[in-house]
Amino acid sequence: MITKVSHITFFVLDQDKAYDFYVNKLGFAVNTDAKMENGFRWLTITPPDQPDLEIALITPHTGGMGYDEETKNAFRVLLEKGALGAGVLHTPDCRATYEELKAKGVGFKGEPKEQFYGTEAILYDGLGNWFSMTQPKQP
Amino acid sequence: MPIAPDVYKKIVTAKLYIDGNFPEAIDLDRLSREACLSRYHFHRLFTRIYQLTPHQYLTRKRIEQARKCLAGNDLTITEICNEVGFESIGSFSTLFKKESGHAPTDYRLRAWQKHQQTRQQPLRFIPYCFIENCMVDTACTNANVCPSD
Repeated sequence: MITKVSHITFFVLDQDKAYDFYVNKLGFAVNTDAKMENGFRWLTITPPDQPDLEIALITPHTGGMGYDEETKNAFRVLLEKGALGAGVLHTPDCRATYEELKAKGVGFKGEPKEQFYGTEAILYDGLGNWFSMTQPKQP
Repeated sequence: MPIAPDVYKKIVTAKLYIDGNFPEAIDLDRLSREACLSRYHFHRLFTRIYQLTPHQYLTRKRIEQARKCLAGNDLTITEICNEVGFESIGSFSTLFKKESGHAPTDYRLRAWQKHQQTRQQPLRFIPYCFIENCMVDTACTNANVCPSD
């Protein structure tokens, strides 16, 4: 029986910039930051209220993951296009978080909008990934 | 009743003030001035938006910084207590344990042990699929079952 997700991956173009974005701007916590001898950096973060979900910030187009050159290039192209990955980030108040992140320089695709499932703003991490930042509608 | 966009900006201004100045003595008067709102309206709106009172948020921010200091430097517990804005080591230790589940000294010990392990044995922390070749086994994908099944 599978009960939970413990690790997921966000593929990113640059780990240092990803650290700055997810930790310093979004407020995620660093779980592990370790460098391997082959240059592979294992950098995982956790959302503020989900300390048992590790998100690995991986640069698939650099070494360490075992991908061949064709695969690395494919990842790089998709990341540069912003065509990889999508997720939903939960916030208790979308408009407040939108104002705060905008003040920190985070890019959004427009202002928050009311959707049938809640209030949503679309943000870009600047590293290849778009996210829906959603405040779920109260039942 | 929805909150107007300009009011959101005022509350966020005060929240960012806490984020940037939490080691200082910050009271409700100071925060409501930052937000250009009355104490009553500021407290009510901040609590509605963040689901924490301004004081609870300030405490959480200080504890969060204390965690970083305990894990990342070798200041004494008293020095960290003062550095993040607590006035009493007793209340700091109590609040820290309540938030993190560990006394400050235990938290530091665990953090340092993990740091040492990640330096000496990083593979202990990395699930196998991330370090071995993750290319998809075509036979598995096509059949939707592994050949060994």
